[in-house]
This record gives sequence, structure tokens and C-alpha cells, in this order.
Amino acid sequence: MKALVFERNLARFAASRVVSSLAGSGKGVSVAPLRLTDLEAPALRGPGWHRVRPRLAGICGSDLATIDGHSSRYFEDLVSFPFVPGHEIVGVIEESFGANGAIASSALAPGARVVIESVIGCIPRGIDPPCSACAQGRSGGCERVGFGHISPGLQIGYCADTGGGWSNAGLVAHETQLHAVPDELSDEEAVMIEPTACAVHAAIRAEVNPGDTVAVLGAGTLGLTTVAALRSLTEPGALFVGAKHPHQRRLAEELGADTAVPPAQLGRAVRRQSRSLAVSERSHQLTGGADVVVDCVGSAESVTEALSIVRPRGRLVLVGMPGNIRIDLAPLWHRELILTGAYAYGTEELADGTRRTFDLAMEVVARCRLGRLVSARYPLDRFEEALAHAGAAGRRGAVKIVFDLRRAPTGRSDPSTGTTRPAIRVASKPALSLPRRRTRVLTTRPRTRKEATP
Amino acid sequence: MSPRPGFVLEVDGSTPPTLFWHGEGLRLERLPLGSRVLYPPEPLDPLADPAGAIRHALEHPLGGSEPLKVLLRPGMRLVIAFDDVSLPLPPMRRPDNRQLVLEQVLDVAAEAGVDDVVLIAALSLHRRMTEPELRHALGNRIYDAFAPHGLLLQHDAEDPTNLVHLGVTDLGEDVEINRLAAQCDLLVYVNITLVAMDGGHKSVATGLASYRSVRHHHNARTMALSRSFMDQDHSELHSSNWRMGRLIRESGVKVFQIETTLNTDTFPEQFRFLQRREWEWTGADRAAFLAASKGLKSVPERISRSILHGVKSPYRMTSVQAGEVEAVHARTTENVYAQQLVEIEGQADVLTMGLPYVGPYNVNSIMNPILVACLGLGYFFNLYLGKPLVREGGAVIMSHPTPWAFHPGHHPSYIDFFEQVLSETTDPAEIGKYEESFATDPWYVHLYRTGHAYHGAHPFFMWYWCAHALEHLSAVIVVGGDRAAVRRLGFKPASTMADALEMASDVVGPDPSVTHVHAPPLLMAQVS
Amino acid sequence: MGLTSVLHKINTSRDRGFPWSAPSWPETLPRPAPERRLGVDYPTEWARRYPARLLRAIVFDNLTRPVTHLVASPEVRGAEMLALVEPPAIFVANHASHLDTPLLLSVLPARFRHNTVVAAAADHFFDRRWKAHVWALALAAVPIERQRVNRRSADLAADLIERGWNLIIYPEGSRSPDGWFQPFRAGAAYLAARTGCRVVPVHIDGTFRILPRDSHGLRRSPTHVTFGTPMSAEAGEDARRLGTRIEEALGILADESRSDFWSARLRAASGTTTSPRGPDASPWRRSWALGPSPEQHDETDERRWAIKPKPDSASRRGLGLPRQGGSAAARNKTSRTTR
Repeated sequence: MKALVFERNLARFAASRVVSSLAGSGKGVSVAPLRLTDLEAPALRGPGWHRVRPRLAGICGSDLATIDGHSSRYFEDLVSFPFVPGHEIVGVIEESFGANGAIASSALAPGARVVIESVIGCIPRGIDPPCSACAQGRSGGCERVGFGHISPGLQIGYCADTGGGWSNAGLVAHETQLHAVPDELSDEEAVMIEPTACAVHAAIRAEVNPGDTVAVLGAGTLGLTTVAALRSLTEPGALFVGAKHPHQRRLAEELGADTAVPPAQLGRAVRRQSRSLAVSERSHQLTGGADVVVDCVGSAESVTEALSIVRPRGRLVLVGMPGNIRIDLAPLWHRELILTGAYAYGTEELADGTRRTFDLAMEVVARCRLGRLVSARYPLDRFEEALAHAGAAGRRGAVKIVFDLRRAPTGRSDPSTGTTRPAIRVASKPALSLPRRRTRVLTTRPRTRKEATP
Repeated sequence: MSPRPGFVLEVDGSTPPTLFWHGEGLRLERLPLGSRVLYPPEPLDPLADPAGAIRHALEHPLGGSEPLKVLLRPGMRLVIAFDDVSLPLPPMRRPDNRQLVLEQVLDVAAEAGVDDVVLIAALSLHRRMTEPELRHALGNRIYDAFAPHGLLLQHDAEDPTNLVHLGVTDLGEDVEINRLAAQCDLLVYVNITLVAMDGGHKSVATGLASYRSVRHHHNARTMALSRSFMDQDHSELHSSNWRMGRLIRESGVKVFQIETTLNTDTFPEQFRFLQRREWEWTGADRAAFLAASKGLKSVPERISRSILHGVKSPYRMTSVQAGEVEAVHARTTENVYAQQLVEIEGQADVLTMGLPYVGPYNVNSIMNPILVACLGLGYFFNLYLGKPLVREGGAVIMSHPTPWAFHPGHHPSYIDFFEQVLSETTDPAEIGKYEESFATDPWYVHLYRTGHAYHGAHPFFMWYWCAHALEHLSAVIVVGGDRAAVRRLGFKPASTMADALEMASDVVGPDPSVTHVHAPPLLMAQVS
Repeated sequence: MGLTSVLHKINTSRDRGFPWSAPSWPETLPRPAPERRLGVDYPTEWARRYPARLLRAIVFDNLTRPVTHLVASPEVRGAEMLALVEPPAIFVANHASHLDTPLLLSVLPARFRHNTVVAAAADHFFDRRWKAHVWALALAAVPIERQRVNRRSADLAADLIERGWNLIIYPEGSRSPDGWFQPFRAGAAYLAARTGCRVVPVHIDGTFRILPRDSHGLRRSPTHVTFGTPMSAEAGEDARRLGTRIEEALGILADESRSDFWSARLRAASGTTTSPRGPDASPWRRSWALGPSPEQHDETDERRWAIKPKPDSASRRGLGLPRQGGSAAARNKTSRTTR
């Protein structure tokens, strides 16, 4: 069984950063510490755990940033190496802990098609009592990320113990992370649920009042799903989208944007709509602006643009992950803006009660037929092509690139299959150049964790 | 040798390629055999003593008006308005006609002891002029005598405290003009009539009017009914202005109109080949053409633009007349026709034109795609008396690079119009519904009043200007233009003239007849 | 990196405190007011010592003078009369521009040029230490109180004349706002009467076009400098009477620079010299009556060297916010607003 494994190798990490800076996003893979290797699925970790074999697994912008060596150092201690990337997953339950019995929900029986809430909160980590966020079901806001009986890792796909989606072998997930997929949804639609859940969460975090002018920067997967979520869950008066590529503008308008324009025109469109002034004729800084701006890019340029087109006391939501960027925060101070992030998903407080973000996302995906955003499928062994395609998705007229793991792996089969080993096989091999990295916080804890794992 | 009149050349096998303007560049194109090319008349001899002619005009006014000297007395309020930077094109060498006339008017006023004198640039909804532009038009002497004392003003069509509503015409058109002009004892208007559209009642009724007043004739309906707007007898634009002008007169505003005309000596010595007929080009002309066309092509657009906008035309005054507006303008129009008219028989299937780098609204600025459309379909298309040069259902082929580029300071509302309105519709009758929101946009109002921006509604006017042509034609093709920008305008891009003619024949039928307007220098076609 | 580290070092050295920086004064102790040696109290003696004079002469002859000639291309009349004048002398001139002083100095013969001090308004040129240093060094300026008679400044000027220094003084007290003369003040005549020194009236024409008051750029334009007959206080003549004579002489010179020597004299004799203070009429007619500038009807736009950004393009655009209210003078000269 094959999987893509990302290892800790600083030299190759730096090399991929250089290559991707020169050759473009997704090209860093040729030198990145990512390789296709033979791998067994991790073992089930206890009651409530299931092994899931992915059917489709998406390539996310954060995966690309990791492979290109551009991810923020903030995450350094929140992941554990080596890991199998991939956290946008639709798969089938292959095995549940305790064989036939002790299954929490009948919907989660072997053979069931599921999508995975990749975020690993307190409950999968076995932390009892859970932190206050997890107790409320907001696993995205978990305060114990990186603790418990699982290696550090924000999500499945960044954690050495769970496996990830870019794998034929499968991964393990806790029952609280699994959602059965209704038969009406195709695999393509189902794989969009996880990114859509992020967008749904962002749309709710945007706190749009009915009639507000809302601007969305960027129209990749996140931007487009955010547009769909904003249109489905809120009532913006005018919804503008700044999108670089023509197909993105077309999709944005299909998914509910009132106007989708090239990024350079977004400021002017917002100015016209809000009847604002600009501080000078050569400046893009508006005196008024949109009530809410949702940044789905996360670059210095996009955040600066967002700061300049949001009205005083307006709300700015960062959905795209900004790394170490340099921006002028004077407008934030002067215009008393509310700047907020929007990460992952969990449970949402709505006017009519609480809902799981994933349930809302399934509705949005079904209603907006978001399966159309899946532009291309690649088998795992063509991962270099897949990542290059994902890195240039906008330019090449694509949105979401996924790995298609539905067919049996091609090529030679691994003779060593059949052995069961804990976690990823290479994990405990000394052949790996670097030892498994622990968080600094972990070193203060008694080193009994390894013994605790079965 | 006396100047030769304009004429129509029929292209034959020996005809050299025809010169086409192409924005900041020049092209030589071979037109199909049998195509007809309209060449402008050669420049008429200018007035030998313009100062003397002006003095004579002021002392012997037309239309029963009293001489200026008699109209002036100490203690009166005198307002002198003058045409703005949109005239003439290209800007003429110093001294400008306005300076020559104004200096004499001011000398008479100083002699008469008139203390209360104000100068107003009659901008209408155009951009404010810059100090160098004012100095160029008026001369340093006038600028230095008036500007430091705050007596050199620029009309503001958006200043409610400075506008007076004089009434409503029989057809319900509001007449609202500059307060100073409306309430002075004498309004002297100093004009340059470059094309037959300029001058007459349009000077005051449009040049000093508010947006509320101007929109009654600057709209799709009026412009579609102006056939052409260069022919004041068949122009709804002019009928409306004349109604307004008469109302202004009846409400007691005394106007002393001074109009001047220019010859067609448009280009300075180094560009002299531009106003010569190709088969008469000397070796020096050919060298100058090669140097200019290659040189302009090889430098960045910014530089070629600044070179060309630096060109000052050696225009000289051919006539000056003063007095009552209508009598003056009748004489002025005769003089314009005497210089510019060229007779041609019959309409063509296809009209071709080479559009130059400058139009009335981009002096010292960028010719954006909307202005390209307006120059071609508004100005060039309408340079006719009788019937259009191209038959109904025919095609126009324009040559211009049409870059997707805008001057952010001069044309801010154009950018939004292009991005937000033309992406919805290019029908002049349809766009009207957006005009109000542009006209009242506080940012455009601010830039118009304090910066150097055209009014928010101005791009709409430009598109209305094209209304007659868009209704008349079945295809507009732009040669060598930016494809995205040309498509946004609703036109068809073509890479070469040959391709454009092929495309045109799809619409007008095979083997089309072609007429080319060899301008500038400007000409006006009398089509029978 | 280099720059940041240097800045950092400066910053930290500033933080080092006493004794690396000046001590602060204990709050319980009274502190005497600092001595302010500015305005008329500014000591200019150092600028008349040999090293300063040498430096000034080098800079003036090699930089200021050629630049002035390039910009103003002066045409000089009547300078030959200076041969008859023995220093010291008081040069009395009309004043329309900051360019007047360098222009006048640059056309004076060398024996005057390098021994001349300039009476400069104490409140304008000596109000800051650095300005006082610059003007004292560059033009040998001495502070003169222009609003009222000040014993100290009058004594200083008289003392300098007695010690052999020539003096340039502008009796109008400030630059003309419109190119015409302003009323003369008595200081120049007082000094002449007190010291018995010769007065040379000088008329400067054309600098108003190059660099008028409140101007933001230089414009090249020709100038005329006309020297009049040297005069001195007659026996029993008081300063007031002398002052009137000086003003009359300058008026005749102004007429001469517009026409010619003979017709100016004829008009002076018949008492029909036009008043150099200009007609009593509205501002535009006063400006208009100055007559056409000599560069009439250039075929090209003349070049302007902007010194400061024009208010039109810069200050208005800087932040670009709509200007609320504001003084009329601050407005754009060609504003759309009414008077």
C-alpha cells in the first residue's frame, strides 16, 4: 500500500522553498521532503476509533504551502513528523475498533462512506475532561492541540499517528470526527464538505447583517465555497468577489456573487457601491467601504487591500492562512476595524439553535452542487503532476485537485504488506535521518506517552 | 501658390499607401483599388494682422451690437468667459487666440476704468485646467494679473451656491448657469471654433451650465437625433442649445460673443509630412515619417505620449468676429466651412479612419478606450453635412491601439464606467439608468471640483456621442487595438487592415466600397 | 542593515543619558530663562571677519552670481556713475523679490560687492538660529527692525557705515505684493543723514516676474538694474526731506527703466512722472498697468523650476480630503469658488 509521506528535513524544506519561489507554487515538490512510499495503515487506537480508506483526498492550499516550504513557523510545534498529508477526505470505513461490537453508531459501520472532521480535538486525544472549547463542540478552537495520547498535529494530515488522506493504506479517525455521507452525494461532492465547512464557519464568523455590503478577496476553493456559504447562510445586500481568473469569476457569479471582478477592480467596485470617497485620487484607501471583507488569500497584498476597502468599524475575516507577512496596521487602528481569523469548524451557534458545521456544509454542498469545483483527479503515483496542477490551478482553469484512491494501487505491490505495526511504518525506523520531533511543551511531560499507545 | 482645396482621390494601382494615424503611432495602409480618400484642404492664409482684426471686430460688432468700448463703463461688473483646454487640438503655439483676444478686451476695459472684472474658464463638465495650461491659453501677463487676486476662476457645475436657475425652455429644459455670468452687467465670451460644432449659443448655454442643465441635450435621444451634431441646422444638440441661449438672452444676460477660426496648419515643421499628400512627400518627408513612426514605436508608450502631447500646432487665426451671438456664429460657421468643407458624392459601405493620439478630452492625458470610441464614432463619424459618409448598415474601421489604460486623475469615472457599466450593456439608450448614480457620486464630485477630473457623468456623454453612429452602423472594427478593451466597447478587434476589410465584407457584402477620411488635419465632408 | 544598525547605535547612545547627554535641571531649583540672541540681538560680527568674508566671496562669485545671471540676465544702466563714489555708500533700492539682493550684489563692482552688508528684516531672516547663521554668512545680512525704530539696529548700521562698510537697504520694508512701490520708511534717509554717507538710488525691474512673493517656482526673465546719481544730505537737510528726495529719485529711475533717460527726465521736470506706487484702482488693473512682460508671445511654454510643490498638485492632493473652509489666501489661485 502506498502513501505520500512528508518528512522532517530542513535542507530539503529550504530547497523546496527556493524552487517554489523561482518556479511557482507546487513546483517545490521535486525537491521537497515528500515521497511516495510503501506504508501500512496505522493501527486503531482504542474504542471509538475506525480505520478509513480514502476514496478521494483533496489538495489544500495549506498542503501546498507546506510542500513549498512557505508555511508559517508557528505550526512547527503543532505537527509531528513524518506525516501523511491530506485532510480533505471522503472514504469508507474499513475496520472499527472491537471488530463487530462496541460500535457507537450504526451509521458508522464498516463499509459506510464517511467524511472526516480532520481537526483532532480533546476527545480523540483522550483528554478528559475536554477543554472548554471542545466541551462545546468547537473542536477547531481546541486548547489542547498537541497533547493527549496522539502526537502533535492540528489535523489528520499533519499528525504522525493518524495517517492522512494521501494514502491508499488508510488512516484512523475517532468516531466524533466521522460523518456518514448520504447516498445522494457523489464522492466529488463529499470531498468538498471539509473545505466547505471551513467556509461555512468563516461565513458565520463574518457576522453579516442583512443588507451588508460584503467583499470576498480570492476565488480559489476557499473563496468560492465562502461565496456559496455567505449566499446560503447570510443575507448580504451586495456580494463582491475579487477573482484573478475568468473561470473563477464565472463560478463566483454562479455561486451567488453579485459582481465578480479582477482583483484590481474590486476596490473601485466597492467604492461605487458604498458611495465612499478615497483618501486621494491615486490611493486605493477608501474613506468608507464594505461592511465585511473576507480575505480568502492571506497574502500581504490581499490583507492590505482588505484593510483599505473595509469601512470604519467594519469586520475583516482572514480565511486564507497568512504566514509571516508585513502589513501596515495603521488603518486597523485608525478605522477601529475588527480583524478576526476563521479556522476550521466544529459547532455553530445559529439563531435557531446549534448545528454541526459539517451538517451545514453538507447542505451547502448539496444545494450549490459544489462537486463541480473538483477539476481534476490524479492517482497517487502521479503526485508531482497533481501538485503542480494544484499550484497553478487558477492559471490552468482549475479549482480543486484531488487524489483519486478508488482504484487498487497500480505498480508493484509491496511484499511486506500484512505485517501490522503501530502507526506509520517508517516512523520508528532509525533509517529516518531525523528523530520524531516533539513539541517543546511535551518535553515537560513524563515520557510515558509512547508506552500508552498500543 | 494659393492653398489648394480638399479633394477626393480614387485609389489606383500607382497610389502610394495611405497614411493612417494609429494613436501615438503612424501606419501606412494599402486601401483596395477604387477606394476613395478624402484629403483636407490646405491651410488658408491667416490674417496678416490678427491684433488689428480683433480691434476692428471689437469696434465694428455684428448683429446690431454696440462696440465693446461703448458697452463698458466704470463701476460695472464684467465677466469674461473663455473656452477651456479642449480647444484647439492639438494646443496651438503661443500666442493662443484666447490670449490675443483677451489682451485687447482687457486693454479696452482698463481704458474704460472697469474695476470689477472676472475671468472664467467655461469648463462645463470638463476637468479644471492646470496652471501651465491656463498660462498657455491666456499668456503670462493675464495669468499674473488675475490669478493672484483670485479673479481667474474655473466654472463649477456642481457648486449650488454659484449657479442660477434662469428658467425652463418651451420644451421643459432647465437653464441653469454660472451665477457670476448670469448676474454681471456684460458677459464677454472668447471662443475658438475649431470644428463647426463649437461656438454660438453652445458657448454659454453649455460651457457655463450646470449638470442639471447640460443633461437635457447631452443624452442618447438628442444625440441620435443630431445628424450630424457638426451640422447645426440638423442637430438636435444645437436646437436645444439655441433654445437655452435665447432664454438666457431673454432673462437679461447680455452676451458679447467673440469667435475666432483657425486654418488647418496643424503640425509643426518636423511633422509637416502629416499634412502633405503621400505622393508629394519629399525625401525629407519620407525620412521624417520613418524617424517618427519608428521612433515613436520604439520608445515606451509613456514617452511617445509625452512627446506628442508636447506638440504645439502652428495654427493661425483666419477670422475673428464679435457681437451678437447668432449673427457672429453664422459668420464663424461660414469661415469654418470655407476652410474645412470637402465635397464627395455618394456613401460608401465601409468608412475607414486613423484615430490620432489626442481628442478633446485627453489633452495632456491618456486616450482611454471610451475616448477612442467617442473620437471615432462621435467626432470623425459626424464630420459631415447632408448624409453620413457610410451608408446605413455599413461598417466603420478605426485604427487605434485602444489600450486598456486610463488617467486616474483626469478620468476616474471613466474607469468605473468601463468596468461596471459597459460590462453590462453598450447600448446608449440603456446606460442612462446608471447615469444618475455616477453624476451624484460624492467622490467624482469631489475630484471634479477640487482636482482635475471630468465630471462623473462625462463618460456617459461620450457614449451618447456615439449614439447616432451606433444606430446607423452594423459593425465597428478596430485595427490593432487591445482585444479585451475593444470587445468591452462592443466592437470587433482585427490585427490588420486587410483582416478588418474581410470582416467588414461579412457584414456589408463582398467587394465593399471604401471611403477613408485622411484626417487630421480636420476636414468636413459634404456628402451628396 | 548598515543604516538600521547605525540608527540603532545612535538611538542607544541617546539612551545612555548623563553625562553622555545634557543634564536635566532639578525641579526644586529655579532656572534662569535661556538667553535668546536672535532678531536684532543676533551678533553678526563673526560674519564680517576675514574667513567668513573669504568664504562668502568664493561662494558668491562662483555660484550665486553665475546662477543669478543665468536666471535674471540683468541689463545694467548707469553703473558708470559708481566710479565717482568712494565707499562707503548706501544703496537704496525698491524691493519686489528675494532675488533683489543677489541680483544687486552681483552687478556691483568688486570693490563694493565684497564690502557690503545687507539690511535684512530681523523678524524674517533672524528668527531662527540656523536662518540667522545662513543669511549672515551668505549675504552679510545684518538684522534691522522694520516695524519700529530700534536704537540697537540703527546704531549697528551706522557703526558699520562709519567703519567703511557699504549698505544695501530697502526702504519699503518688505517685498511688493503686486510689483508696484509701497510707501517708503525713514530708516535709509535717517542713516544717510546721520552718517553723511552718499546714497545711491537703484531701481530693480523684472525680479517680480521671476520670483514674486508667494511664488513656488522660478521663471527665467530678463531684468534691468538702473543706478541713479549718487546723492547725499544737503546742508541743513533733515532725514524726512532727504527721504522724500530718495523716493522721487527712485520714481524717476522706475520711469527711466520703462522708457529712456531723456523722456523720464522731461516728465520729471514737468511733474508728470507716473506714480511708481501704481494707479489707484482694482487689483487686476494695477497688475495690468505693469504692462506686458518682455518675453511677449513666446512660441513655446517657458520653463519653470519648481522650488516647492505647487499647492495645486501637492498639498491639495497630499491627503486629498476635501478642504473645509480655510483662508482665502490658502485656496487654489484658480479655485472654482466665487470671490
